[in-house]
Amino acid sequence: MGLTPSFAQAPGSEVEVAVPTQDCSINMGPQHPATHGVMRLLLKADGEVLTGAQAHLGYLHRCAEKIGENVDWTQYLPYTDRYDYLSAMNNNLGYSLAVEKLMGLEVPERAQWMRVLLAELNRIASHLFAVGTYGLDLGAFTPLFYTLREREEILDLFQEICGARLTCTFIRPGGLFNDAPEGWLEKVESFLCRFEERWKEYDALLLRNKIFIERTAGIGTLSGNDAVTWGVTGPLLRASGVDWDLRRDQPYLVYDQLDFEVPLGVGRQGEVGDCWDRTEVRMSEMLASLSMIRQCLDKMPDGAIQHPDAGPVLRPAPGRAYVGVENPRGELGHWLVSDGTKHPVRVRMRSPSFCNLSVVEHLLPGAMLGDAAAILGSIDIVVGETDR
Amino acid sequence: MSSGPLVGQFDDNVLTTRVDWMVNWSRRSSLWPMTFGLACCAIEMIAVGGPRFDIDRFGAGAFRATPRQSDLMIVAGTVNFKMAERIRRLWEQMAEPRYVIAMGACATGGGPYHQYGYTVVKGVDRVIPVDIYVAGCPPRPEALLDGLMALQRKIDRGRIVRKPETGPV
Amino acid sequence: MTVARDACWGPAQVHALAVREAFEAITASGFLVTLEEPDLPLHAPEGESKDLARRRKQEGDLSVWRGDPYLLLPEASQLVDVCVSIREDLGFSMLYDLAGCDLSADAANLQIVYGFLNLSRKQRLVLLTEVAKDQLHLPSVAKVFPAADWHEREASEMYGLIFDGHPDPRALLLPEDWEGFPLRKDYVFPEEYGGIPWA
Repeated sequence: MGLTPSFAQAPGSEVEVAVPTQDCSINMGPQHPATHGVMRLLLKADGEVLTGAQAHLGYLHRCAEKIGENVDWTQYLPYTDRYDYLSAMNNNLGYSLAVEKLMGLEVPERAQWMRVLLAELNRIASHLFAVGTYGLDLGAFTPLFYTLREREEILDLFQEICGARLTCTFIRPGGLFNDAPEGWLEKVESFLCRFEERWKEYDALLLRNKIFIERTAGIGTLSGNDAVTWGVTGPLLRASGVDWDLRRDQPYLVYDQLDFEVPLGVGRQGEVGDCWDRTEVRMSEMLASLSMIRQCLDKMPDGAIQHPDAGPVLRPAPGRAYVGVENPRGELGHWLVSDGTKHPVRVRMRSPSFCNLSVVEHLLPGAMLGDAAAILGSIDIVVGETDR
Repeated sequence: MSSGPLVGQFDDNVLTTRVDWMVNWSRRSSLWPMTFGLACCAIEMIAVGGPRFDIDRFGAGAFRATPRQSDLMIVAGTVNFKMAERIRRLWEQMAEPRYVIAMGACATGGGPYHQYGYTVVKGVDRVIPVDIYVAGCPPRPEALLDGLMALQRKIDRGRIVRKPETGPV
Repeated sequence: MTVARDACWGPAQVHALAVREAFEAITASGFLVTLEEPDLPLHAPEGESKDLARRRKQEGDLSVWRGDPYLLLPEASQLVDVCVSIREDLGFSMLYDLAGCDLSADAANLQIVYGFLNLSRKQRLVLLTEVAKDQLHLPSVAKVFPAADWHEREASEMYGLIFDGHPDPRALLLPEDWEGFPLRKDYVFPEEYGGIPWA
């Protein structure tokens, strides 16, 4: 039992009423639509105000790192699809780059451009889903159906190039599984034209929606300093005003030959680093990706797509290597230890959702109970990745 | 309703059918699934609910957030020991008659995590009874719809007032 | 800091130069660290992997390695001070990763790797320390880098490490009553958990 004098006084009234409130614990999840999977939050609330939050993970712990130590270097690739199942191409890319670093391979030019193209396409698909489901978390059902429509088009493109919708296993150590089928690049181009128009619809439908702004502006503000301290990366970090994007600041593949903008949160509707800023950064990143894909299509060279030294059984040199890539959710890092055999000694995966989620225990206290879903949704976690 | 090809063509009529058929028809035509996404398969489950595949055509589009209002649990993803206990509890909270679809390789038998996944339950049927298994990793949305139609056929064979069938169904 | 394209080829994100600078600065502060640098070049000449595999098989040669240069801290007890120095003096403001590693079932030590990121100078630093398997205690850096909080909890349940001074040392991914440390190389898979058979 506790008294909350700060809430006792109604605005404009002169009478002070002490309303006794009771601390109560609210269990959110593991089966809860707003947790985007199976995660449990133990919330402590005093009336409508949250006083504490504790995250319980592990409801989808699938032992990816242990599996990595038991399978071949190449066999591990399908498991990378399943960390962050919304951005399989980016995961493939992160792992492949790390293995290539141990092997000392630089993949052929065409493969590099194709990789960037696919990674950016997948980033659009992932952000579409993130923005759509975020609307769903806040009670806006419609945007999800629109964004799913565009996402299906990207999945069709993936299906045509690799046969799978979600779990691609397409980018492999040494290059790509296959070259693009005839006419595929033109289909990408025509998709981009359609998407550019529809992006404006989403912008108006969700981002500039008065109700949406009211629900997200000034809510769950994360300062840039806190974000860095808590190891937050990706759109969350940029929404807090920290100008850090691995694609530009530690470029891999051909990102240094692309001209693109890194959108930052500026607090247009509320404060820098609030939930609205995070959504806006994701929306703007879609446009940035779109321009990157256009540049890839323009500059796509001909040539091989697989390095001749990379066969089905890989034996990287002994050593340790870390490679971080910019995933839709932040920095996906692979820290690999090899002893020169065909099995890894250690496959450490630095998961962006895991690090981003760790900040939730500090964002939630002080917020209103009704905003918990808004804050959690804006972090945009994928539980396959937090739990691995 | 003053005009139309059938207006005035029939007198008041009686439609006869079996109670079994009637009950089964209503059960299979309004399966309400529980919003219960575990892993990768959940994304395909959402795609099934989305505009292109549109699970609503089969009367199963009303995703409920609570087990007490739902008839169908689609176990979409990997089940591990920590989650198994919760799945059991959620299933027990569902009202009878309840149905379970094990979607994907993980829910069916551990999938790619079978051999080295130390926390992975080798199939959700070790925790709750399963009606339909859908293959794939993850299954395509069409596969889930096929699984749903298989479940509807299964419901159609149910008997409520007649003697239960003997032998294999 | 701009780096020529040759020097920052693709994923070479941990720059040797930056690690060397950090090594000198940390050594100057009086800490005992060693600098480990790879002997193999960033780009492999053709047929190198076959050559290495043959040498490994015939001569048992494991001496050369490729990858990121890192700093080895032999005394884990100095960890917190080194981390403070890395953050305050060298400006590595983000701890982007912390992970354990068990090289083999016979190894006497567990390794713990820390990754630091300097956002303004765009540099990374990898610090590695070792803890004996029969001792397992090392100081927690969660007070210096809050990002270490969850990483340490994970490393603790996966390897049995005990981070002294950790604010909240509960299990994170595994159930509280889980037995054994799964990422150890000598881990035996469970037969059942909570009445559900494993196999």
